[in-house]
Parts: sequence; C-alpha cells; structure tokens
Amino acid sequence: MSDLSARLGATAPWMLWLLPLALLPLMLSAQRRAGVPASAAAPADPLSTAIGRTIRFAGFLALAGLIAALSGPYRTGARITRIGIGAQVSLLIDRSGSMNETFAGRQPSGAEESKAAASRRILGDFVGARPHDLFAVTAFSTAPMLVMPMTDRHGAVRAAIAAIDRPGLDYTNIGRGLGMALAQFGSDVGASRALVLVSDGAAVIDPRIQDQLRAAVSRIRPNLYWLFLRTKGSPGIGDRPAGEDTPQAAPERHLDLFFRGLGVPYRVFEAEGAEAVAAAVRQIEALERDPIPFVEERPWRDLTGLAYALAALGLAVLALAKLAEADFASAPPADRSRDGAEAASRPIREEAA
Amino acid sequence: MSDERTTEIIYVPRRRPRGSRAGIHRGRDAGGSGTFRDQVPFLRLPDARRIDVRATLRDPFEGVHVRRFEARAAVEIWILVDLSASMSFCGTASRMRLVGDLCRALAVSATRVGDGFGLIGCDSALRADLYLPATRHRSAALAVAERVEGATCTGRSAGGMLDAARQIAGRPKLVFVASDFRWPDALIGRVFAALAPHDTIPILLADPAEAEDLPAFGLVELDDLEGAGRRVVFLRPSLRRSWIARERARVEALERAAAPFARRPFRLADRFDAPALTRHLMTT
Repeated sequence: MSDLSARLGATAPWMLWLLPLALLPLMLSAQRRAGVPASAAAPADPLSTAIGRTIRFAGFLALAGLIAALSGPYRTGARITRIGIGAQVSLLIDRSGSMNETFAGRQPSGAEESKAAASRRILGDFVGARPHDLFAVTAFSTAPMLVMPMTDRHGAVRAAIAAIDRPGLDYTNIGRGLGMALAQFGSDVGASRALVLVSDGAAVIDPRIQDQLRAAVSRIRPNLYWLFLRTKGSPGIGDRPAGEDTPQAAPERHLDLFFRGLGVPYRVFEAEGAEAVAAAVRQIEALERDPIPFVEERPWRDLTGLAYALAALGLAVLALAKLAEADFASAPPADRSRDGAEAASRPIREEAA
Repeated sequence: MSDERTTEIIYVPRRRPRGSRAGIHRGRDAGGSGTFRDQVPFLRLPDARRIDVRATLRDPFEGVHVRRFEARAAVEIWILVDLSASMSFCGTASRMRLVGDLCRALAVSATRVGDGFGLIGCDSALRADLYLPATRHRSAALAVAERVEGATCTGRSAGGMLDAARQIAGRPKLVFVASDFRWPDALIGRVFAALAPHDTIPILLADPAEAEDLPAFGLVELDDLEGAGRRVVFLRPSLRRSWIARERARVEALERAAAPFARRPFRLADRFDAPALTRHLMTT
C-alpha cells in the first residue's frame, strides 16, 4: 500500500482536500425523499437494501472520481527489476578493413557476402531471440568505438548490428577494444556475462594493456567467446608459424593463448563461412542460459481519464436511479399546500370502517 | 361554521351516564322530565306532582305510586391527539388536517348539546400547548380545536398517550383516540387497557398513499418521520403486494388489541366525513 501511494501523485494535490466531500452521499441523497410515518412499514427486502447501498456508493464514487480527476492524478514511472532467463552479452566487433572482404579474401561481388554482412545477418538473429538478454555493442579498428551501451532495447541493438557492414577502415587494435567491451558490463552481480569477440584477425596486445585486461577480466569474470572469421588460406588459431613463434608472427595464436591464460571459461569458434558462424552463434546461445535480473521500465501514466471514467460510472448509476424513481404520493409537509381546495376536490370516498 | 368540516356528529354513549349535570343523553338516574322510566311507591319518592293516578287505582293494596322519569345527563367528550412526528405525514391528505377537522366537529357537536369537550395532545409526553380540560364553553373548545391542525408534530414516540389516558379519570366518558397507531404493540395494549373504563373509539388515521396507492414500480427513498433513518426501497409488484398485506395485518392487529377495551377503530382517510363517523358511532 505504501508502495502504491509512493507511486501515485497529483498535479494539483490541494484539490484532494475536497475529498471528504465524497462522504456527503452517506448523509444526503439526490433521490426524492418520501416522508413516511414509519419506514418499517415496508417489508424487509435484500434487493432494495443492495440497491440503496449501490446508490450511495455510486454517489461516493462520482464525487471522489470528479475530485480526483480535477487534481490530475498520475502514476509515476518506475524501473522494476525482474528475473528472467538470459545473459549480459557484450559484442565486440572488428571493423577493420579486412571485414569488408568475403571469406575467400576478395571484395564481395554478386551474391557473395562479406564477413561483416554475414556476421550482421547472423548476430541480428541472435539479438532478440530471448527477450531478457542485455546487449552492448562495441566496435573497434584502430580505436574502439562505443556503439551501444548495455541495454535491453533489442531494436536499438539490432540497428547497431545492422550498421556493422558499413565499410570498415584501418587496422585491428584488439587490446583497447577488449578493454571497452569489458567496461560495458555494469556493476550488477548475479548475471551471466558473455563477451563475444567477432573478428577476422588478431593483433599484438601491448603488455601493459594485457595487465589491465587481466585485472578487468578477473573482476568481471565474463565467459569469453571468440568468433574467429577465418579467411581461407590465412593462418588458423592453432597454426604455429614457420619461423619464430612471436606474437608479431602469429597474433591469432598468441591472442588465443592470452585468452586461455585468463582463467575464465573461454571458447573459440573458427568459422570459415556463414554456416559455421551461424553454428557458433547457436552454440553461444545455448551456453548462456542463466537467470538474469532485468529492468522493466514502467512509464509515467496519466490517471485522469480513469478517474473521470469512474466518476462517469457513478454518475450513470445515479442517473439510472433518478430515472427509476417512482411517484410516491407523499411529499414532505412543508411542500404541501394547506388550503382546503385540494382536499375538497378529491373524490369522496366511503370511509366505512 | 357552515361548511362540511364542522358538520355535527351524533353520538350515543354506550353506557348511560350517571350524574346530575343536565344533558341530552339518557341517564342512568331518575329525575327530571324525560322519558318515562318506572313507578315507585310514593314513600320512596314523595313527589305529589308525579302521582300516577292510574297505577295508584290499579293497586289492590292501595299504595300510592309515583312516576319516575329518566334524567337527561351530559357526558364528557375527550379526544386524545397523537402529535408524534408520524402524524405530520401528508399523503393523499394531511393527517393533522383530518384530525383538526375531527376535533372541530367534535367540539361543535359536544358543546351544542351541552356536553363537555376536552382535548389532550401528546407526543412522547403531554403537550401543554394542546390541553383543554372538558368544557361546555363552545368558543373555548373551538379555539383549542382550531389549533390542532397547525400543531407541530416532532415527537419521536407516542409514549405520552399513556399519561393522557390516565388523566381521564372519574366517570366514564366518551374518549376518542386519534392516531395512526404506529406504536409499539405493548403501548397500544397498555393505552387501551388504561382507557377501559371509558367508551373508547380509536380513530385510525390512514392514508391510501401508505398502502393501496403505492406505485407499482420504481425506486422510493423512504425517510422515516420519526427519525428511524432513510431507506431505499425498490418497489415492484411482489413487494407492493406484501407491503399492502403487512398494512392490512397491522390494522387487524390493532382491531384485535382494541376489541376487549374499545369500540372498533374508525378509519379516517382522505377527508373527514362526519356522517360516516356518525354511522360508525351508531352501529358499534
């Protein structure tokens, strides 16, 4: 009850001081009154009693509704936290120039689709499949780009994903992208978190940034998924380079090693085509199934119409009661003329006892 | 004075009145010059003017007989007027107006023949403003009777009726009790019992609006004049039937309660009809 009163408000609260007027129908009545010698003369009748109470309540409702409507009632907006099934998913998407190419490493032509377009299509389906997932979208090339903060507005997230096949540019600076994607997770606890990295390559991460990333990962503890869009012929994650095994020579392998060393659940999907990407996404979807607290926005709502509707209901009942009034032959004595003409004009009746 | 509202009522006391006050009713006592009553020996009534010569001659024992004649005596007419709030009801006709007409007619009729007219108004107690000890003075009687119609009826009960009934002590009198008798059953019984020595005529103030003229259908908000509160009643044919039946049962109960002590109640409704009251008084 206190929760309810805290959520209700009025634009003209002083009007509510008039609310005691709504009790008037308990004392007064709009019905024509018929003074009778003894109201006990009428037989007890439950239906009549019910109707009488209804009329009184309708009067109360009409007055209370009108006063409440004049005061301009509203319900304040609120954020309600509920529990659903889903996860906080931070999507980190590579926007380097190589994403514009097909899986075959060419510029797309005809029916071919680029890696960016394929991931857009498949990730677009991923978003919104479960209503309570939270998504954040971060893109990176040379610098990270905050595309969409963590939100449950799947329409906006889909729009953000729809934009990732715009031609990408420049190089791959994965370290700072990872930092921003991790920063997207809020401070909420208890939610399942997933960081999905979609990239077609890797780059060397600066050792200082590596330390920062380790610290952030150990604090947030997300599940890591790397969706590696491998271009045909390029080195895979597990391939050792022919020469020296340095991060510069095989960045994918060393990024993989870095992820494995973080101590959080980690999976990598090497996808060499759109179908493989779809399968990887389905797998991620299946893995991230945990209860998640999500926030439901309840908007501010004007209750004036409701108050007027209640008042109208009460008034309609009163009007019906007024229309159903019967002509009782009696009237209060004050309203009655006392001259003799009235009695004399009545037909003479035999008053035999 | 000449209109029907003051039409004379003719009444005959049920029991012959005693008393020496001259009136027009056949008294129980002998005396005066009225109707022949009987013969008594001269020694019992030594009145030489009334010697019955024929009876004296006929007597083999040669006693002297004297004729006796009935005394013409007066009775007192009292009316007890219920002034409780329910009497302010105004349906087809105003109750107090009917009572006023009745009082006026009784005052005129009583004083015209030399009977005393007394009036006691009461609600929950005796009402000092409407009290008249029996008087043969016509204008005094009429003055109070005229005031009845305009009397305020605000009392919550008719409990004063019992005191009023006890006020009328002494020789049997003709007592009218004008009320709608919307009293507790116990009060009805006690009032009639208190009036048992007298020749009591209950005047039941009725109104068709209370029973027969009820609307057949619709909502009515009843406001009890005696302050029992408001009440909404949804009138419909079945309820109307049971309402009328209840009213009829109430009148029958009143008749049963009155039967051991009083005459049958006279129903006064719509308008005051003096000939009807006369007929009622002559036949009950």
